[in-house]
Amino acid sequence: MKKLFFSTAVMVLAMIFIVACGGGEESAAEGDCSSEEVFCVGLVTDVGQIDDKSFNQSAWEGVQAAEAELGAQIDFVETKDATDYLANIDLFVEQNYDVIVTVGFALGEATAEAAAANPDIKFIGVDQFQVEPVGNLAGLIFNEDKAGYLAGALAAMLSDSGTIAAVLGTDLVPPVVAFKEGYEAGALSINPDINLISTYHPGGLDVAFTDPEWGASTAAQAMDQGADVIFGAGGITGNGALIEVAGSEGTFCIGVDTDQWETVPEAQPCLVSSAMKLITPGVLGLVTQAQEGSFPSGNFFGEVGLADFHEFDDQVSQDIKDTLSDIETGLGDGSISTGYSP
Amino acid sequence: MATASPTISQTEEKSFLRDNWILLSVLGVTLILILYFYNQNAIVTTAVLAAALRQSTPLVLGAMCGILCERSGIVNIGIEGTMLLSAFVGFITSFLLQDALGPGAIWVGVVIGVLSGGLMGLLLAWMSVTLRMDQIIGGTVINILAVGLTGYFYQQGLTAGDKLRAIPLGPLADIPLIGRVFFDNPPLTYLTLLLIVLVHLLIYYTRWGLRTRAVGEHPRAADTVGVNVYKIRYVNVILGSCLAGLAGAYLTLEAVGSFERLMTNGRGFIALAVMLFGKRTPFGAWGAALLFGFATALNTQLQFADINIPHQFVGLLPFVLTILVVAGLVGRTRDPKALGTAYSKE
Repeated sequence: MKKLFFSTAVMVLAMIFIVACGGGEESAAEGDCSSEEVFCVGLVTDVGQIDDKSFNQSAWEGVQAAEAELGAQIDFVETKDATDYLANIDLFVEQNYDVIVTVGFALGEATAEAAAANPDIKFIGVDQFQVEPVGNLAGLIFNEDKAGYLAGALAAMLSDSGTIAAVLGTDLVPPVVAFKEGYEAGALSINPDINLISTYHPGGLDVAFTDPEWGASTAAQAMDQGADVIFGAGGITGNGALIEVAGSEGTFCIGVDTDQWETVPEAQPCLVSSAMKLITPGVLGLVTQAQEGSFPSGNFFGEVGLADFHEFDDQVSQDIKDTLSDIETGLGDGSISTGYSP
Repeated sequence: MATASPTISQTEEKSFLRDNWILLSVLGVTLILILYFYNQNAIVTTAVLAAALRQSTPLVLGAMCGILCERSGIVNIGIEGTMLLSAFVGFITSFLLQDALGPGAIWVGVVIGVLSGGLMGLLLAWMSVTLRMDQIIGGTVINILAVGLTGYFYQQGLTAGDKLRAIPLGPLADIPLIGRVFFDNPPLTYLTLLLIVLVHLLIYYTRWGLRTRAVGEHPRAADTVGVNVYKIRYVNVILGSCLAGLAGAYLTLEAVGSFERLMTNGRGFIALAVMLFGKRTPFGAWGAALLFGFATALNTQLQFADINIPHQFVGLLPFVLTILVVAGLVGRTRDPKALGTAYSKE
């Protein structure tokens, strides 16, 4: 027994030694982030992969743009489990990174904690609303209601039946509510008599965004009632709705967050556009400001907008495009209000 | 005592009216309500009922898996995992073969998905019949295994190309209400309706069904008269798991058209509630599954109509009813006597 303990202890010590040496070599090969000259940007994903064709990937593309444009040294950590947020952030903190980007509403608490403990490091929290501004932490957030408003206006102009629908994640997440309220206000601004049918997933946070069959079935239920434009806003649940609409002739669907023409190719037969949050330029902008020393604290609003019409470009008339650009201008200068307040 | 006597199905039939008067009156009231609402708003009523049938499909398949297993004395709480794994295997098969086979790849995916369900059944049967392991643990093993395997092998961005689309059954599909709800569905939904009848016939009108029920009630007696208890249990668990596999294939290849991690979202566990609610009979399970499906569809419809009942309450309704049924407040539910116990010849 004693022998076993001894040999285990030796092996553990040996491993620590090897790991420590390995780590030392690695950081010597790369630039030293603690030095003035080397500008390091690290990214921590939410649970999921860096190439998720959604949030994580969009933010990472912003960081990659910072590498190309600002000569930043970049790296990322993929979070495997929600309990690892702080530990993953600390991986970059220990190497004295200059900027750390954390992606997603769920990392808000861990990011705020890390920002308080490390005042010299700049933190960018994507989708993390800041209640009290902290000097070295900027929340990159979006006016989802404005993107929803544009999507609603487009839907109302495309609809022949006068019934449009929205299949949504859960009302427990504020951005989803903002998308819905904006969508309805936008549709009503075009056609005050339009029949709006929208519904949230009845489940909790654990299932509301990962239930494509519910999304598909709900979209079918809406189409059976004459809905001919359907807005799917709820992660994978919403994607289920988009794919269902794709199987039905003469109906349009509108995606969410990113240009879903790329991310959900099955939906291309119906996907006229997507209500986008422009995460990539938002991240790049904030990283640039961090390097220039003009880093904002509190909340920083990224841009929103409609995605390209792709193959539906011919079916969207010039009148519709003009109206949409008028609305976009109006939303920008404040002459049009979505009526949504968080 | 429920021994292997040929009159068993007849006595059950005679007492059907007496045992199920509550169920029958509920059915009657439901029909009247449907006709009333159809008269009020035909389009919405049809849409809700079509959605209810659609939501009920994976539930009734999962419940029939439970029925076949439990009637032979094996508890299967691995339905959720079996569904998830088959959903994945079916989807991946159809993805890998779509270039080689075109649209036929989906059907190969369905078959392979069903077979992978059967394989999970074989695993459960081996653990609970041969190894005489605790059946709850056996089922849990399957659930954990499925989450792990599908999560590991899953890759973002795989697309199946297409899914099984609705096939309207000619003039039948033009009948008001019934046409859209029953005769304008994709193929696996039709197959499920057929399977409900087939499983009913299998359990109550064949020698195999009689032996299955005997093994579930009193395996020693069945063994004494020469029934191979192990074989009956193995085959029923595998057959049942094939049905759960079909439910999985339904989810990826007919309902959604793609796979996502954990996409079964507890449907395998709800199927167990559906099975209990339906008193382990195929038609009872179908009714219960329709009720669960209806609750979901109604939930959606209330939100469509801007009626602000907290939607969680509507979602809760079928579960409350299940508890009432299981607690014996609505009719009588009786477990097979040998349920959950391994049989040893010695």
